[in-house]
Amino acid sequence: MSEGEGTMDLKVLPLDLGDVGTQRCRLGPRLMASLGLRIASPVLIAVSGGGGCLCTAWPRSDLAEGYLQADTKCATAGLKATSFKDLSLNPRHVKAACSAKLKGVTVSVVVQSMEVKNHSPAGFIRDLVKDLLRGMYVAGRYVVDVSHVKTQVELILIQDLDPCSGDAGLVTAKTSVNIGEIQTLNSYRSRQQTSSGISLGGLEDVCASLKEMINLPLSYPGTLQKLGLSCPRGVLLIGPPGVGKTMLVRSVAKDVGASLVTIDGPVILGSRPGESEENLRRMFERASEAGREGPCVLFIDEIDSLCPRRTGSCSATQNRLVAQLLTLMDGVGSKEHFVIVGATNQPDTLDPALRRPGRFDREVIMGVPTMKQRKSILDVLTSKMFLSDGVDLVALAGMTTGFVGADLSALCREAALRAILHSSQDSQSHSVEMKHFLEALRKVQPSCLRSSIGLTDFTPITWDQIGGLEDVKLKLKQSIEWPMMFPEAFVRLGLSRPRGVLLYGPPGCAKTTLVKAAASSSRCAFLSVSGAGLFSPFVGDSERALAQLFRQARACAPSILFLDEIDSILGSRSDSRTAHSVQARVLSVLLNELDGVGLKTQERRGAQRPSRQPEGSVEFQQEQQMDYQEVCNNDVMIVAATNRPEALDSALLRPGRLDKIIYVPPPDMEARLAILEVCTKRMPLEPDVCLEELAQQTHLFSGADLENLCKEAALLTLQEEGMDASSIKHKYFMKSLQSMNPSLTAQQIESYQDLFTS
Amino acid sequence: MSKATLLSLHQALKRSFQSLEQNQKVWNSVLDECVPLMGSLGNLAEQLLALNNVQMVSTPLNRFPELHERLRFKLLMAVDTVLDKLSEKMCSLQAVRDAVGNQVMAAFQLYEQHAVTSDLTTCLQRSAIAPSVADMLEWLQDADRYYRQQYLRRKTLLQALKPNDLSDLQSAPKRWEALATPDREDIISDTLFRVSLFVDSQ
Repeated sequence: MSEGEGTMDLKVLPLDLGDVGTQRCRLGPRLMASLGLRIASPVLIAVSGGGGCLCTAWPRSDLAEGYLQADTKCATAGLKATSFKDLSLNPRHVKAACSAKLKGVTVSVVVQSMEVKNHSPAGFIRDLVKDLLRGMYVAGRYVVDVSHVKTQVELILIQDLDPCSGDAGLVTAKTSVNIGEIQTLNSYRSRQQTSSGISLGGLEDVCASLKEMINLPLSYPGTLQKLGLSCPRGVLLIGPPGVGKTMLVRSVAKDVGASLVTIDGPVILGSRPGESEENLRRMFERASEAGREGPCVLFIDEIDSLCPRRTGSCSATQNRLVAQLLTLMDGVGSKEHFVIVGATNQPDTLDPALRRPGRFDREVIMGVPTMKQRKSILDVLTSKMFLSDGVDLVALAGMTTGFVGADLSALCREAALRAILHSSQDSQSHSVEMKHFLEALRKVQPSCLRSSIGLTDFTPITWDQIGGLEDVKLKLKQSIEWPMMFPEAFVRLGLSRPRGVLLYGPPGCAKTTLVKAAASSSRCAFLSVSGAGLFSPFVGDSERALAQLFRQARACAPSILFLDEIDSILGSRSDSRTAHSVQARVLSVLLNELDGVGLKTQERRGAQRPSRQPEGSVEFQQEQQMDYQEVCNNDVMIVAATNRPEALDSALLRPGRLDKIIYVPPPDMEARLAILEVCTKRMPLEPDVCLEELAQQTHLFSGADLENLCKEAALLTLQEEGMDASSIKHKYFMKSLQSMNPSLTAQQIESYQDLFTS
Repeated sequence: MSKATLLSLHQALKRSFQSLEQNQKVWNSVLDECVPLMGSLGNLAEQLLALNNVQMVSTPLNRFPELHERLRFKLLMAVDTVLDKLSEKMCSLQAVRDAVGNQVMAAFQLYEQHAVTSDLTTCLQRSAIAPSVADMLEWLQDADRYYRQQYLRRKTLLQALKPNDLSDLQSAPKRWEALATPDREDIISDTLFRVSLFVDSQ
């Protein structure tokens, strides 16, 4: 044969059906001759991924050259029949192997099920394996797939060969077979999968405690027995949807190398009476079977659907299922190494009998991620993305208040999609930039705020759009913006941000607009509530809605909760007329939420974590900055606005509740001028218009009145000069001024001013 | 490869095919005899099941003392007899397997001995009356593997039978039938037809 053909690549073809399970590989006769191969002599085929496959050489029946077909009956563990598809091999990768007869071989065996492993007669598996291996060439650390013979043995893992000099050898009738370990197919598969881990961000502490629980009984069985302890067997994961409960369990099971048995509510439920209970028992049996072999995690996702509170209203079937689950959980012996993990986002709807030691011993609360956790989640998510240098993940973590892991991954996906869209338009680099994230941020909303009554969409307003009121603006900035911008200064001086701010003042003096501006300038989540959303005809519903709103606001802290016209939402308890009205009850809820004993345990978020960055580095500074942020801004701030402050309950106004009380005065002369300037910014004015004069003449006009005045003047222009009028003259302002009355009175203003000063 | 060695190899192959033909007949006849035995095993299992379910006290037969135990004993004896017969049959199947295996091994050994002196091309030459040596070796190996796998499967089925689990025993005939792979069996018949001219030629 010529030299050229020797280096020509071999095309790998799929195996003929007749050759499956024969350990043959079909080669061209000339290649066989050049390699010095005889018929049925062993060859080793190396595959580029590092794997290999041991076969016996046979000529192709059509004697064609340049093709290779190989049976992967005896191959390395990673190699599968599919990895041989559409591949080209250099003939250098095909080598003759040693064909010595083996004296002995040590193997471990993978069998179909636990039953085979435990109940087979002595020597049965050994004889079977011996028969299966007879006449085969094997190599150390290779796996022999014998599933096609359809016996109880699925795979034979070759451990050691005797003599171990050659790379391969033939198993004959005289070869002695030693059986090492016997394992089931399920555990073998789960062990194979351990290498591909799921990366989690920001869940280190929860992850560690879960791992410890699974590993403890396995690592120290003697110690536990000596102390007479039964190991904990159940963990209940509690957390809002999307924080990564399911993913955490999967990743922990993989890390520990435990097999995972999952119970899904819909799969368990059957139509026949008793079928659901039977299914449940079967799942537990499967778990305990797997648990006898190695660590096993029985995972019950959405356990609230499977095990709701047993009450009279529940159907009898449901109650029976709950009872079955409880008895099964009690029946788990300490010998069986399996841990039950339940996950739910509504722990209150669970049957209380489930939440006691002995069943779910531990409850792990996974809250909405804090800023630091969000940063580490973003780190994980973006580790595989191609980011441009301008992406500031710390800033992004700060902006995404209230986002859970699922939201953040949606955000990253959206940003990447935007990047692809942009790059296809101008065909530049495929990197994801900060602007893509910012665009995506507008589309993706935090899932904990969905279906919240407080979620509002408003057009952002800057401070400049509000004329006058400089000292009020400054006070608002102090209490809302500063804690966000300069957390380290607040921490240094031991300051905490105020719990609540009350804006009061005559109507129409820009109280609502001020809050809007504050919300848009700070990067907080902004929730707004009014009486319409809160009140309902059902007793207790309004109170629950308000409590729910606070819970949501806390979940995505730092956040601003805005209660407009608070006097109409809340009554005053001193007012005897409304002693037991809805308003009074809502007020008590609000007082509790503002300054209650503490939070519900379910709302716990993030734990303290020691810093791992060296001091002085940029990362350390960033981390410290984030630390300050978390210390300072972990709470909800209430902003309330009213024009009847005298109607409010006095308990609400004491420090610790609405402790910052800001009077929004009617605009004075300068403020009025500023307001007029803002209002007429987009109006074409004649040069003779004198805003100063207008401001002087509009004593007792509120901001809203002034805006109205400008509108009236513009309308009057259109009315007098026709539709093609180009600018507004001074006389129209004066004319409309004559027809208008100020909405405020001096007496009113005096009463406001006297209210808190006396 | 000299003519003489090729001739001796051909002789060995011929002998192997002749023995394969005989053994195939034996194998098939033994398997045919097994079918009624498996059937009766299934029947006995069903009878035992029925016996377990019946309440003797409430039947007219309650006058006979210890009827339940006696019947059970009889049935179990019958099961034992059937299993004994089946294990005899398995022995004859094993004999077939070993005979074929030995013949095939002998043929391969002869090839290995001469392979040092021979080149591959002679082994690949096909003629009108004789298939190539490589083809024939392949067919012999296929036949050997078929008998070994079939024997292994049937033996493990019988060994895994649990006398306490009657439903397991009851379904045994069906599983026994399912073990047969007629297409592989056909390949052996095909092989014998292919080499018939070669075997008959002197």
